Amino acid sequence: MEDISLYILDLVQNSIAAAATLIEVSVIEDVQNDKLILSIKDNGQGMDSQTVKKVTDPFYTTRTTRKVGLGLALVEAAAQACGGGVYIFSQPGKGTEVKVEFKYNHIDRPPVGKIDETVAALVACNPSIDFVYTHITPVGRLRFDSREVRQRIGDLRIDHPEVVEWIREYIREGIDEISGGGGV
Amino acid sequence: MKVSQMVEALSLKVLAGESFLEREVCSGYCCDLLSRVMAKGEKGMAWITVQTHMNVVAVAALVEMACIIIPEGIEVERKVLDKAEEEGVIMLSSHLTAFELAGKLYQMGIAPVCKVVD
Repeated sequence: MEDISLYILDLVQNSIAAAATLIEVSVIEDVQNDKLILSIKDNGQGMDSQTVKKVTDPFYTTRTTRKVGLGLALVEAAAQACGGGVYIFSQPGKGTEVKVEFKYNHIDRPPVGKIDETVAALVACNPSIDFVYTHITPVGRLRFDSREVRQRIGDLRIDHPEVVEWIREYIREGIDEISGGGGV
Repeated sequence: MKVSQMVEALSLKVLAGESFLEREVCSGYCCDLLSRVMAKGEKGMAWITVQTHMNVVAVAALVEMACIIIPEGIEVERKVLDKAEEEGVIMLSSHLTAFELAGKLYQMGIAPVCKVVD
């Protein structure tokens, strides 16, 4: 995938398939330690340790319609090609955290991409799920929590176009601020 | 065109899937970003890539590619070739670059997209 935001879009589908109601996504640009860390943490059904070992195998999938599943396989290959890796922490009944590490300055490291559109799309397409998005750079920190938005909008639905547009703007401006206005 | 004719014309080395060489090739594609290949790939495609990860076998199996061609004589791990064999994925190798291979295939009449959709 061309950028990190597309990996987020893809990996969040695993959390949704695991019946998560809260999905926490974070991107940490730890420039000082030459690391970019993407984390996706959910409160879905979780996996036992046997399953965790198999999920980055491209020939493992929970789908019954086909025998190939490439989501985690692709992100692992991309991370490893950039001097990083994928680390999965999961507990049945509790949830799963997928942590993806890239070397920040690796020449093949994908750009972060359009995070604002990605998070807005996730909220708009999954109004019954709550999302927390955190983005940290050496300059500062952005935090978005759909539960706080729900409290503030009262009777308005969270997937209302104006709310979704506000979310997108909030994230775009927040990221601009912590990346010194230059984008990521 | 059959894969066997392509192997013959370009002096390709067969790394895996020797018994499937009578398979028909109808289009060609050249890309190393696997997610993009999943989107653009189609049945009967000859796919040129420098990637030799297990994931290429999964992508080729998923979209029922005619074959994978690895350029520049890049070596492929045994376990990847074994999996390709098991999944019926043909893996070929050449010392030419992806650019040269794509040019030659295009000259031989391999199109970017299959003309007949089955």
